[in-house]
Amino acid sequence: MKKTSEIVIIGGGVIGTSTAYYLTKRGKEVVLFEKNDLASGASGACDQDIILQSKNPGIHLQLAMKSAEIYKTLEAELEHPIEYENTGGMILIETEEELEIMRDFVKRQQQVGLEVEILDLKQARELQPGLSRHLVGSTYSPQDAHVNSMELTLGFAKAARKQGARIMLHTEVVGIKQRNGRVQGVVTSRGDVDCEIVINCAGAWAPKIAEMIGLTIPIKPRRGQIIVTEEVAPYVMGDVLSARYIVAKYNPEILENSSDPGIKLGVGLSLSQTQKGNILIGATREFVGYNTDVTRTGLKEILKNATRLVPGLKGMNIIRMFAGLRPYTPDGLPIIGPVEGIEGFFVAAGHEGDGIALSPVTGKIVSDLIVDGKTFIDVSRLALERFAKNNKKA
Amino acid sequence: MKKTQVAIIGAGPAGLAAAIEIARAGGEVTLLDENHKPGGQLFKQIHKFFGSGEHRAGIRGFKIGEQLLEDTEKLGVNVLLDSPVYSIFEDFVIGYTHDGREKAIQAERIILATGASENALAFPGCTLPGVMGAGAAQTMINVHRVLPGKKIIMVGSGNVGLIVSYQLLQAGADVVALIEAAPEIGGYGVHASKIRRAGVAIYTSHTIQEVIGEDSVEGAVIVGLDEEWRPIKGTEKFIEVDTVCIAVGLSPLAELAWLAGCEFAFVPSLGGHIPKHDRNMETTIKGLYVAGDLTGIEEASSAMEEGRLAGIACAESLGLYSEEKARHLKEKVWARLDALRTGPFGERRRDAKRKLMDLMEGGADIG
Repeated sequence: MKKTSEIVIIGGGVIGTSTAYYLTKRGKEVVLFEKNDLASGASGACDQDIILQSKNPGIHLQLAMKSAEIYKTLEAELEHPIEYENTGGMILIETEEELEIMRDFVKRQQQVGLEVEILDLKQARELQPGLSRHLVGSTYSPQDAHVNSMELTLGFAKAARKQGARIMLHTEVVGIKQRNGRVQGVVTSRGDVDCEIVINCAGAWAPKIAEMIGLTIPIKPRRGQIIVTEEVAPYVMGDVLSARYIVAKYNPEILENSSDPGIKLGVGLSLSQTQKGNILIGATREFVGYNTDVTRTGLKEILKNATRLVPGLKGMNIIRMFAGLRPYTPDGLPIIGPVEGIEGFFVAAGHEGDGIALSPVTGKIVSDLIVDGKTFIDVSRLALERFAKNNKKA
Repeated sequence: MKKTQVAIIGAGPAGLAAAIEIARAGGEVTLLDENHKPGGQLFKQIHKFFGSGEHRAGIRGFKIGEQLLEDTEKLGVNVLLDSPVYSIFEDFVIGYTHDGREKAIQAERIILATGASENALAFPGCTLPGVMGAGAAQTMINVHRVLPGKKIIMVGSGNVGLIVSYQLLQAGADVVALIEAAPEIGGYGVHASKIRRAGVAIYTSHTIQEVIGEDSVEGAVIVGLDEEWRPIKGTEKFIEVDTVCIAVGLSPLAELAWLAGCEFAFVPSLGGHIPKHDRNMETTIKGLYVAGDLTGIEEASSAMEEGRLAGIACAESLGLYSEEKARHLKEKVWARLDALRTGPFGERRRDAKRKLMDLMEGGADIG
């Protein structure tokens, strides 16, 4: 193993490989360390949605829209089939109360230029005939899309390697060397590498990496269980979420105080069909540490919720179920950028359920910041320090 | 949620024997099986079993099955049929389906006796109707009384290939040829002699190159193999058949053990990935036991003995037997098991099993 590199990236998920791709594209020398295999964490245990309309209007949506623009030409750029498809998508609305919240959400999204509208039940059922008749309606955006997250990770990694990146799999970073507030290098299970910059792209494991240099990152692993059906004829149009999914994402305290087992598990619908025909049915949002087991309660509650909203799913066979750890942050926004006080240490993690959607833009921002010292938007709101400001104890 | 003291998954010879042992010790047992009838593969085994009198040698397999079912019924074992288990969750909650509904039962102890599945072989035409596992053909003739075809080629000369060939002949089919890739017949000489006497052509050092047919099997092309197991050009031979039976070994059905989180060892001589277990048949998960082909491919007699072992050990762990009583009972089973694992075939299995069990005490990994 070569003993030096300009930049070390930790984590071989979609964020780490994207960052490696964009940095090598700008001529940087990069080595990426992954303790297991590519996409072996959340990037290989998620759904396939690139959803714009689930993002909060503001910097969150701005990032997603920039990412969506990159996605349009990404497959050709990476020269790797990533199964990208601009399918459109909808968020199902069950109650008048949810409708009110979504009306406001949609209005604010429209103001920043997202193509999104509210449909009544009849219109929604024309697009998605499987929907239950008890729904009030849905939102619809033609800009939502699908991608195969594992192919995407492989595509980024392959293209990065072609540009000179060294990708070291089954190599664990066990320490970070620093001197006088500057990053010096990393200690791995296969030897040391000296470097000027370390980028923590370890997703739900990012806090463990940060601990190595005495840094606290408020990311927590949040388990998402997903069910896979047999291959069936086209049945689900685009990405389908429920308004409850949005509520679950931004209001974890509502979930924990509920007595309903489904709500407690943070169950919100996320539904989509792969190119092969398997339907992915999600998902839970649970704080159970680093446990990736699937549970019978999770299975039952996900299915109860999904078949209530889309009754036709009842006739399909389930072939598999898996769980991934989403890197949760307290404000639902990722942490992207350099860390104050430790020169050369960057974080690009904490995307929770948005990692796939935001991976191109994240890699681009990190490479811009490292090469040019700035990027296309003001990313100070994504800095780690935002948490320290709100809570001095953190 | 329903609860039971011991849940046994798989009502074949190993599962039934385990259930009987626990019920005899006074334990409460629930036996789950995905099939419509219990008995596993026993009811298609119309041949007489080997071994000593203690192993019921000379008795036909299905008769042994009938006896086991009678015992389980007498002892009040609760049997859930048409109940495929789909997973084992935390705290020994077993998820299964029945009548199109999802159900669960929670157990204090679990014994997995899920058996094995037939290995497939890939060649051009291998998905044509008429290409099937030898075990499937055996089920058709001996259980359902349906002849799978009239002119049959058997691929593989282990005991399954030899016995099923003979039973196909008895059922009225013409076994045109039996081929074996190795230079010698794999199974017992006594089984091979029977089909040889019946005039079945046996081709050793041969493999199947291709199966030909429009909508179903119309014939097979076989080819000779050299010492390096490479096809020899010019030795291709077309054989007209309507059925191709594949008897190239079995693999443990270990999915539930994987799902439950058991540690595994890879032991090719026992059929592949096997859950590690000790002399009590207990896995790396406390309270989870295994028995039968899942723990290494053998035959019904040793599966029953392993079931008994797991059952006795399980009963002991529940306090139903004293340590001394259990030791005495287990010693008797081990003596019978060791007797079954003799001869050139048995010894190889006994050695592999011993190494596998040593792993639980920190033995070196086996390749």
